[in-house]
Amino acid sequence: MRGGWAARLLCFDGAAFQGRILVQMQETHVPRTLVPTLMHRSSSPATSLPHIVSLFWLLVGLSVNAADMTVEQRSFFESKIRPVLVKQCYECHSQEAKKLGGKLLLDAPSEMIVGGESGPSLIAGKPDDSLIVQAVRYDGLEMPPKKRLPDHVVNDFVEWVKMGAPDPRADLPKTVKKTPQEPLWSLKPISDPKPPKVQNSAWPSKSLDAFILAKLEQKNLQPTHDAEKALLKRRLSFDLIGLPPSDTSDMSDTSDYVDLLLNSPHFGEKWGRHWLDVARYAESNGNDGLSRNPSFPHAWRYRDYVIRAFNEDLPYDRFITEQIAGDLLPADSPTQRDRQLIATGLLALGAKPAKAMNENFEMDVIADQINVIGSGLLGLSVGCARCHDHKTDPIPTRDYYALAGIFRSTETMWGAAAMQSLTAPQTPLHELQAATEVMPRSELEPIIKANPPHRPPAKPAFKYASDAPLAMGVRDAKKIEDCKLNIDGESKKLGAPIPRGFLSACGGGTVTDLKQSGRLELAKWLASPQNPLTARVFVNRVWLQLFGEGLVTTPNDFGLSSERPTHLELLDHLATRFMREDWSIKKLIRSIVLSRTYQMASRSGSATMFSHHLRRRLDAETIRDTMLFATGDLNPQPAIGSLIQHRDVLINELPSLHQPSSQRSVYLLMLRNSMPPELTPFNLPDATTVMDQRDTAALATQSLYLLNNAFVIEQSRRFAKRLFQTPAEFEKRIAQAYRHALGRDATAAELQRGLDFLREADAMLVSTQTDHPRRELDTWAAFCQALLASNELRYVD
Amino acid sequence: MNALSRRQMLHTASCGFGYLAMTGLAGASLTAKPPRLRARAQRVIFLNMAGGPAQLDTFDYKPQVGKKPHAGSIAEFKRRGESGLWVSELLPNIARHADKLCVLNAMTADTSIHAQSMLQLHTGDRLRPCPSMGSWVAYGLGTENMNLPGFISFNTAKPAEYSAAQLPSVFGGTPIGVNGEDMSKATISNIFSDHLPMRVKRRQLDLVQAMNHDHLSLRADDAQLEGVIQTMELGFRMQAAAPALLDLSQESKATLERYRVGKNFAAGTCKASDFGRQCLLARRFCEAGVRFIEITHGSWDQHTDHRRDLTANCATTDAPIAALLDDLDERGLLDDTLVVWGGEFGRPGLTPGADKDQTGHQHRAFTFWIAGGGVKAGHTHGSTNEDGSTVVEGAVHFRDLHATILHLLGLDHENLAVVSGGRRIRLTGLQGGKVVKEILA
Repeated sequence: MRGGWAARLLCFDGAAFQGRILVQMQETHVPRTLVPTLMHRSSSPATSLPHIVSLFWLLVGLSVNAADMTVEQRSFFESKIRPVLVKQCYECHSQEAKKLGGKLLLDAPSEMIVGGESGPSLIAGKPDDSLIVQAVRYDGLEMPPKKRLPDHVVNDFVEWVKMGAPDPRADLPKTVKKTPQEPLWSLKPISDPKPPKVQNSAWPSKSLDAFILAKLEQKNLQPTHDAEKALLKRRLSFDLIGLPPSDTSDMSDTSDYVDLLLNSPHFGEKWGRHWLDVARYAESNGNDGLSRNPSFPHAWRYRDYVIRAFNEDLPYDRFITEQIAGDLLPADSPTQRDRQLIATGLLALGAKPAKAMNENFEMDVIADQINVIGSGLLGLSVGCARCHDHKTDPIPTRDYYALAGIFRSTETMWGAAAMQSLTAPQTPLHELQAATEVMPRSELEPIIKANPPHRPPAKPAFKYASDAPLAMGVRDAKKIEDCKLNIDGESKKLGAPIPRGFLSACGGGTVTDLKQSGRLELAKWLASPQNPLTARVFVNRVWLQLFGEGLVTTPNDFGLSSERPTHLELLDHLATRFMREDWSIKKLIRSIVLSRTYQMASRSGSATMFSHHLRRRLDAETIRDTMLFATGDLNPQPAIGSLIQHRDVLINELPSLHQPSSQRSVYLLMLRNSMPPELTPFNLPDATTVMDQRDTAALATQSLYLLNNAFVIEQSRRFAKRLFQTPAEFEKRIAQAYRHALGRDATAAELQRGLDFLREADAMLVSTQTDHPRRELDTWAAFCQALLASNELRYVD
Repeated sequence: MNALSRRQMLHTASCGFGYLAMTGLAGASLTAKPPRLRARAQRVIFLNMAGGPAQLDTFDYKPQVGKKPHAGSIAEFKRRGESGLWVSELLPNIARHADKLCVLNAMTADTSIHAQSMLQLHTGDRLRPCPSMGSWVAYGLGTENMNLPGFISFNTAKPAEYSAAQLPSVFGGTPIGVNGEDMSKATISNIFSDHLPMRVKRRQLDLVQAMNHDHLSLRADDAQLEGVIQTMELGFRMQAAAPALLDLSQESKATLERYRVGKNFAAGTCKASDFGRQCLLARRFCEAGVRFIEITHGSWDQHTDHRRDLTANCATTDAPIAALLDDLDERGLLDDTLVVWGGEFGRPGLTPGADKDQTGHQHRAFTFWIAGGGVKAGHTHGSTNEDGSTVVEGAVHFRDLHATILHLLGLDHENLAVVSGGRRIRLTGLQGGKVVKEILA
């Protein structure tokens, strides 16, 4: 309870309670006074006062005060209750406790009624409803944790609560803390600020430029000069479609070129991949802790859904609604129904710990779902509140379990989990209606045949035709129920059930249609223009991908510990426009890349204040795609399905399943703990949590990859063979190689350097390779590999 | 303002050069400057006993007491060495080293869920990604060998266990062999290729670097690009250094035999981990100056066939560990190397004579041992009750173990920290740990 932001009810009691009631909004620790723990989501506490008062009386009205206590009651407490509290409970539940358990104090009468994180520990006169009695009975809660108390002691507690919990102990001195704070910046409504006035009014070309320039002028800084056209073209191409420009011609009109890129089917492949980082997308569970890593043979449908959503410019509010509650939305056609079911895959794709020996399994699955929504969509680390009220953010544990109830009332459909019951129970999958049938792919047949599972898999619990189109996802559970608060995040230590609802810090509210899980209402709450976080968080993610640094530098965390953005007005300006333009992602990107800010020249280092563009390394996928592009090998067609489709296997028991491919990297087999070796060296995320910003650190293992990896070597040879199709003069071939790999002409010095290398390498190889054509290929391939390994290929200005 | 942020600098650093060497370079964006304490150890070999080793049948002796049979040790125990340390008969070779061990019998963890506890053992946090112990050590101390990474993890299970997380990724562990892979073939990815002779490779790298220098010269003062140029050289040097270390062909037959290289006792949960090879490689990488080396054997998770699998697990690890301790001792390395043995938790005991042959997980009391640099030798710290199910005294939480290991390395766990996303991150977490002073020599 403590530390929440909800309206709180305070009653200062004095020695005996006087009935003075205060309602106040506060965000810090509640003073240690008599506080019946009522959580009010109501935005207008004053109106509900009478209601609170009556409830208050109900709760504590029967409690016996020191003054009214009989001698027998006092002696009962002193002989039977106090010694047990002191001996069994104070170690963790008193002011002297080294670490206070569950924020519960048992060394003062009022504290026992206030209770800790799980709510009031006793309700006078009602032993069955009192947590302290449930705890000593080992009924849901288990206290003391080491050993159950003997029955007669348990009965003493029942008796004591029944008689009104007479408690002669002195109450703790009151410490009234009042530290009114301004609400968190990210929770204030999104504003629509006007572009500020600037001195250099000639500089801005779009409204967003004025926001950037104004801040620079405040600091007496100047924006740098505009980028050269050719560099800008390369930047735009990599940023929007993740490939180098398809030709070296001059870009005559920037906005035409941007439109061309936005309309390319490669746009969705590039931007869809960014979203897949947020969605912690993968095609297997990852090590469950027992070394088992079952495949997700239908996950790829979610990948394709995301790519398509970006290509079709599905409005972002719709996009997230489909992913959270697509199954609950009406559909006009079987195709649309399929698409919406596939979208809910977001909630089923998580990495789960093994079910075996894990009483928290179900809550672990829910935790992953809450995390992806919290960090991914809201930019709040809601997950911390699973075990304790959030230390810094206004997220009490109750809010966590209000959300958890929504997912507890949701059936998560991850599929067969390779029919390994210790890993996860089998679940059904969504059966698609309009999708075409798919069969397992033949490439993996020999590997899987040669490596039967070590432990025989169980029989499939849900039978589908072998070519049935299926999808992971969620649907409402048969049983709709609120979730009980898990004390310290342990599902064996249960507190009171928490009504299903949303975060109190941003508007709050509870689920109104009690027959549903509440996911649809949650989605609407998230996608509402009134939600202060959703648009801000997404706009910031887009900015980050285009500039290499977010306006908020902690894209997954807009909470108290986030850095306050230097350009909050700009963030709000973009968020407002984003929502006004129907949450169109393409329009948002278009307006940013056509700004003068985006088009500045680059340099290295931090882009603080955005006085220049940031020079950046390409991500793993783009590096591979660029190599394929240089060698002319890239197959630009979207992949159909996945290597692992319709194969329920344990990845950990099989040798590498990755196969050579010339398709774009987004379509490679993304198995947790067994990512494509062509991508792993370049800081690929592990797909277990929301990845906000890829690391671009240079590592020795990357150098080894560029020097020795089979894919790089193979591409070098193909590159050389491609050059052999051009005229035989070495200079012309070298020039061609520069155009293919780096998109520019070689200088005279570079031509000479290439010639020198070819001559010297040939001389070195002559003793070991006497066959001339082969040696020529080796030499040229070595040259081509050098181009593929050069910094210029991997860094974008 | 063209000065580099320190984070950037570290980001481009080609290898984990000393943390302290960096502090003079630029700003304080990475908060902590750990005051160096007196270092008793320079490096760590962590013997990761995955799955939860049965402490009551290895080091925490629980004979039957009283009239009623109770859970306890089913293996036979003897007092060993001058110290009289109790070691199970299943570990006759490790028993020879009893006088070198400091046994912690009252270890505790927060959970009995494998994945979470394993993560907590490695990173201090069981739920969220945080830097691995090895990353902290490499970050705090840097590497002694510029041709090798500072943190190597053999036979790994999960990237999260050797991840640099919020630390610069150069401090992440370099994996050699993933769980289940044949360790005799395990190596650093892409460490070798014979598509070109070494001489041509060098000439080729010169060409790459010439291009890189040109590219850099048009982009003045780009430390990031400069870092990449250095990293290319490091990679090239690693090509020579790492395969030489991984190649055991120059080791004598007697040595290979002592370590039981290639000998596997796979049974039930006990996996063929070629643990002997891992131990020998640990010694070789330790000699080469790698700061943190983790080797793994699993699994000790003996839910069924406890006796059979326990015997196999002990037989697989006993001689190799003893050989490692022998060699470290003989080379004087044990003086400043910490050898740490243990898993994510332990197991409840079985009752001798009873038919039951299944054990579960126990995180409230289990065993670790440490040997080497700066810990008391032939010493037992902490004790448990008669059936070994709870701690009686001397509890050591993972956080305390972490604090102690860092302390022995001369690092202050309170201050070895980074700020990321507004959170201050350190190995001992929010709660912080306590250095177990009682075990310091």
